[in-house]
Amino acid sequence: MDASAWIQAIANGFALGWMYVLIALGLTLILSIMGILQLAHGEVYMIGAYVTYFLCVSLGVNLYVSMALSMIVMAVFGIILEKFLFRPAQRQVLPPIVISLGLTLILMSFAVTTFGLKEKSIPRLAEGSLMFFDSAVPKDRIIAVGFAVALLILVYLFLKRTKYGQAMIASAQSPEGALLRGINPNRMSSLAMAIGCALAAAGGTLAGSILMLNPSMGTFPLMKGLVIIVLGGMGSLLGAAVGGIILGLIDGILPVAFEPGIASVAPFIIVIIILLVKPQGLFGHE
Amino acid sequence: MLFEIKNLVVHYEGAEVVKGISLEVDEGEVVTLIGSNGAGKTTTLRVISGLKSPTSGEIWFQGQRIDRQTPQSVVKVGIIHVPQSREIFPYMSVLENLRLGAFLRKDKDNVKKDLENLLENFPRLKQRSRQQAGTLSGGEQQILAIACALMANSKLLLLDEPSCGLSPIMVQEIGKIISDINRQRSTSILLIEQNVRLALKLAHRGYVLETGKIVLQGTAEELTRSEHIKKAYLGG
Ligand SMILES: Nc1ncnc2c1ncn2[C@@H]1O[C@H](COP(=O)(O)OP(=O)(O)O)[C@@H](O)[C@H]1O
Ligand SMILES: [Mg+2]
Repeated sequence: MDASAWIQAIANGFALGWMYVLIALGLTLILSIMGILQLAHGEVYMIGAYVTYFLCVSLGVNLYVSMALSMIVMAVFGIILEKFLFRPAQRQVLPPIVISLGLTLILMSFAVTTFGLKEKSIPRLAEGSLMFFDSAVPKDRIIAVGFAVALLILVYLFLKRTKYGQAMIASAQSPEGALLRGINPNRMSSLAMAIGCALAAAGGTLAGSILMLNPSMGTFPLMKGLVIIVLGGMGSLLGAAVGGIILGLIDGILPVAFEPGIASVAPFIIVIIILLVKPQGLFGHE
Repeated sequence: MLFEIKNLVVHYEGAEVVKGISLEVDEGEVVTLIGSNGAGKTTTLRVISGLKSPTSGEIWFQGQRIDRQTPQSVVKVGIIHVPQSREIFPYMSVLENLRLGAFLRKDKDNVKKDLENLLENFPRLKQRSRQQAGTLSGGEQQILAIACALMANSKLLLLDEPSCGLSPIMVQEIGKIISDINRQRSTSILLIEQNVRLALKLAHRGYVLETGKIVLQGTAEELTRSEHIKKAYLGG
């Protein structure tokens, strides 16, 4: 295999990895603050992509404006979901699973009936390629990664530097400690869902502009997101970021280095090996 | 009266664990609640801070009824509860923990000043201000938990067995911190302690809770002299 194929693979892996990180970060926030595994998060990503498609292609709004609006729409949607569906089921085991699986079906059917089964596409983020060591890397992937990284930095600064961000981290580390300092847990859950859903909408839009849109496009990223949070350490935000990049690179490089059969099971084998060595995940706490 | 509990009854899963207790804490007072394991001391504190609902009874603070309120509103009126498990945030720095102690305060400038003063008063915390709270020793974590409570600038502190699991030297230090807080800030304190000797040294008054009922109350001197206390809690 030549150097240019490797560079392509790494570039693809990187782009994929950051999309996974956007999903995994939302899942992690929701899991660590609400104690809920949001299995319909992939469908939030899918609907986010369709909202951008609707605004941009059907109504003719600028692509970047559409993406920003889609993030806001999905954040509000997340707040509504939290208040009416997930809040009553918090800190229980079975109800959130049933609710989020039901939600998956509802959102998928909604997409099928509204937008149809035929694949749709969002315009590319940019045309053309840039050259890296004699190989062409499409500009739109570079922009997608740039967006994802910028969003993650924003989330990081919010969590680290603002009062409400700190309150969210605190709620994840000790729900009772947060209560006793006057932090309103419902507000923290709303925030977690709003941020998580906005990130998913951004991920769906970025992926949708590189690949295609269809009602089942959220299933695969959700699986990746789940693997990442286990890999990174349940509830660790840094773990979600590093885990996503590792998984993205594995996904990008393996198909180039090995035949497709091996490439499709290898990520899971690698993850299992990592977890055997470090059962609490890469950045897991306990 | 600053703080008053009237005929409080609390159930856990159908079992009555607090059976109609009444107690008071006055402005500037340290009051201790003594009792063996399972007597209902922690339950009483959890009801005060809004973590658990009572079955019946009333709780008053500065002329305001505060039972059946959310923990946020209890913090807002000026009551801070430091639970036995401390509930600091282990993967946040000492400084971040302290800032969160002032979460509901709006007077930003004063919070900053208070934080500086506090670090001067607690050199152990200052030394470790950038360290993760979970890496502190047990005693230091207890000091941090109390310091976080001070950041809220509250009028009444509820302390649940602050000396539990600490070395004798640390127990002394925590004792000194508690009496300093009371003297220097005139903060009222409701103190739960297994270490009855320490509790009676720090407190002005005390109540003895046995299986959910108050069986004895009085000033610290009266309780120290009481035959019942000597036999049941002071080992002779
Ligand atoms: N979460 C709970 N669920 C059921 N019973 C409880 C719970 N917490 C405490 N209890 C019971 O309530 C009684 C009083 O407990 P507690 O208030 O913790 O006592 P203390 O703090 O005086 O040792 C005990 O009998 C205990 O078993
Ligand atoms: Mg107790």
